[in-house]
Amino acid sequence: MSEPLAVVDNVSYQYPHAERFALTDLSLTVGRGEFVGLIGPTGAGKTTLCLAFNGIVPQFYGGRFFGYVRVAGLDTLESPVSALARHVGQVLQDPEIQLIATSVENEVAFALENIGLPRAQMRERIAWALDAVRLSGTESRHPSELSGGQKQRLAIAAGLAMRPNLLVLDEPTAQLDPVGAQEVFATVHELNRELGIAILLASHAAEELAEYADRLVLLAEGRIVTQGTTDEVYSQVDLLRQHHLRPPQVATTFYLIGGGRPDGRIPVRLDDGLRAFERLNGNLCPQPPDLPPPVSHPDPPLLSVKDLHHTYPDGTQALKGVSLDIHPGEYVLIAGQNGAGKSTLIRHFLHLLEPTAGVVRVGGEDASARPTSALARRVGYVAQNPDSQLFSRTVGEEVAFALHHLGYAEDEVERRVVENLDALGLLPERERHPFALPKGDRARVVIAAILALEPEAVIFDEPTTGQDYQGAHHILEISRRLHQMGKTIVVITHHLYLMPGYAERVIVMGRGTILLDAPIRQAFHDLETLGATYLTPPQAVILAQALARHAPGSGADAYPLLTPEEVAACVVGGEG
Amino acid sequence: MGLLKFQTVGRDSIFTRLDFRVKLVMMIALTVIAFVWESPLLQIGLCAAVVLATLLAGVRLSYLRTVLLVMLPFYLFLLVTMGLFNVAQVRSLLGREELTYLYRLPADWWLVGGVGFTLEGLLYGVNIVFKTLTMALVIPLVIFTTDVDHIVTSLVRAHVPYSVAFVFSATLRFFPVLLIEAQSIIEAQRLRGLAVESMGLLRRARVYARIAVPLILSSLVKSQQLEIVLQSKAFSTNPDRTYLHESTLHTADYLAMAFFVLLVVAAAAAYFGLGVGRFGGPLDFIHR
Repeated sequence: MSEPLAVVDNVSYQYPHAERFALTDLSLTVGRGEFVGLIGPTGAGKTTLCLAFNGIVPQFYGGRFFGYVRVAGLDTLESPVSALARHVGQVLQDPEIQLIATSVENEVAFALENIGLPRAQMRERIAWALDAVRLSGTESRHPSELSGGQKQRLAIAAGLAMRPNLLVLDEPTAQLDPVGAQEVFATVHELNRELGIAILLASHAAEELAEYADRLVLLAEGRIVTQGTTDEVYSQVDLLRQHHLRPPQVATTFYLIGGGRPDGRIPVRLDDGLRAFERLNGNLCPQPPDLPPPVSHPDPPLLSVKDLHHTYPDGTQALKGVSLDIHPGEYVLIAGQNGAGKSTLIRHFLHLLEPTAGVVRVGGEDASARPTSALARRVGYVAQNPDSQLFSRTVGEEVAFALHHLGYAEDEVERRVVENLDALGLLPERERHPFALPKGDRARVVIAAILALEPEAVIFDEPTTGQDYQGAHHILEISRRLHQMGKTIVVITHHLYLMPGYAERVIVMGRGTILLDAPIRQAFHDLETLGATYLTPPQAVILAQALARHAPGSGADAYPLLTPEEVAACVVGGEG
Repeated sequence: MGLLKFQTVGRDSIFTRLDFRVKLVMMIALTVIAFVWESPLLQIGLCAAVVLATLLAGVRLSYLRTVLLVMLPFYLFLLVTMGLFNVAQVRSLLGREELTYLYRLPADWWLVGGVGFTLEGLLYGVNIVFKTLTMALVIPLVIFTTDVDHIVTSLVRAHVPYSVAFVFSATLRFFPVLLIEAQSIIEAQRLRGLAVESMGLLRRARVYARIAVPLILSSLVKSQQLEIVLQSKAFSTNPDRTYLHESTLHTADYLAMAFFVLLVVAAAAAYFGLGVGRFGGPLDFIHR
């Protein structure tokens, strides 16, 4: 390893009033110019560790702190946070909260002003930092006008302007669409390679970390479980699964196949995986899965829009003539980059938006003529952030809220509360305050409250944002159960890799129009359309297409496989 | 993102170009004048000028409409009570006993029987309505036309401590965030089948009251996050702090400042010397 820049030595830390330690006997060294990825399930202590590098933990929070952290020779217990800020740049998960100025240049200037840098030098540094994150030319724009990826790059520039040796990023892409996430990873990679800035990046984005990080540290319950190169850590698929983490799909595929590289190791990056496939030439399953036959729907559509246009007051044309029918019992995924019009479309079904032109029907009725409260009884809408959807004193009251207001008898309210809390595994939490629960559980409280209305359709808008892999699957499992009960399910998400096994039909949106409406096997393999709206197909899809290219006499869509399990089964089956 | 910037007008005008300190002087001058004047006619004129200025500055009509809608019940109550009960004050201000009665309540009504609704009382109410409206509308005229970052540099130049200026600007920044949060909670309630639109006022108020708890909780979380962000950016109230932008007063700023100071002086002279601005003063149409 290169010369140590930051040393965490035997650190244990307990937040005030917390029952257990957030970090326990943790030792870690980050070398100069190194790119270290930090992985671990929710609650593993990643954020606490990130905040320990610039002294926020424990200087801001207090609590009990043992051991020491030294960055560029400064002890984080002895040096004030403002002094450490010159050496450590911090980028947090939420792009909104960390941007505090009203123009891009003022945002970058803020920290420089705080350290009393002369104006001329400040201007130089701002120009340099904005150039480094490719935001030159946006100096006078309001940060709220930037896209999610640009906002995070601005947050990086603000940290970068201090010329730090270490940039600490805590899940910087968790709230971004694939384009934004790609922008952030590319920028961080460039800063690391070209300017030699050491990076510590906590993330669930396995494919990107495998691509860019030099080293990975796996944290669980405040302790380091393992650390090593990305190849070493991501090839330990069992260990990752044991900690509810998701390895890159390439790693899972070759783990199931059993090896792949000449040295017998599992490839963890896509290009390694593709090369490994070349060596498997010819060993393919003879019978790949067929595309499902077209489904006919005898029932009239439950949700329907015809030639729907929506223009926001600022002139943004969010929907341009969208027509779509969703029939009872369907499970539909709506995907597309930010600004593609997904949420705008969905919000019309609840009359949360008024169509500029066109017709919206729910169960055959004109949705524009019905109040949101009436539509919500037929169509449940689980919006993105659970925290702004909780307003009751207990979990039980949260679920009973709507039922009381709709005038249900007390015994019926009780029946529905118990039934829904039980179905979501929340019955033991009934008397707790919703905000006392972890984020994943808070999302389930919102779902339980919406299901209490017994809607015919449930729409999940980005339900997996901010959730770890396990949390995301918990929510999707609920959606599957509801689907099996006959409900119509619509999910909006950027995380395509999560959806095989759940969604049947995929609607790809881009720039206010529907680019593609097809069964999932067909849609995920239409790389051109996905690319047009900046969606990244799961690695398994790309591997499946590579398989097809190697298979004699077959087209690219001959293997419409979606998951590492399917790809591996195909290869293993062929070899067998 | 519209709401995050609702405090900032999109239009470039003389108001966006003036320094914040000038606008502060303007706000103080207009507030003092509105406070001192009692003439309904002059108050209407002053208020009309402020409304015109806010519209020219690009403050949205919908915002003004919201302010009016919020104030309307208070104003109606004020006009009625002033017309009915503000007798002694208007008699003393006008220096005469007889007032113009527009309507008298039937004599046999309990407690209020025989009480009359006077034109003079009503006009005094009109004066208060427009006085408060001027004071309420001059604030968006000043705040909405100034970039929050400029407010800070301007206040610091006016020798306001940086910590105070920052708290002021942070509050302004926080307000739209809270508004967005409140809207999402109300929306979440509607999505639970709550027909807020068909509820009576009391029931609606009870439902809205539920917003307070999550709003306070989320404010606490957000202010803690903000503190972390500030600390990470080496925030300090060090007097050696530097500023990217300088807040300098130009000739137009000095001229505007002088204008508003002179306006107060002139208004004071006219008020005390000629009685202009008094209730029933020379420019008013209420005879003494």
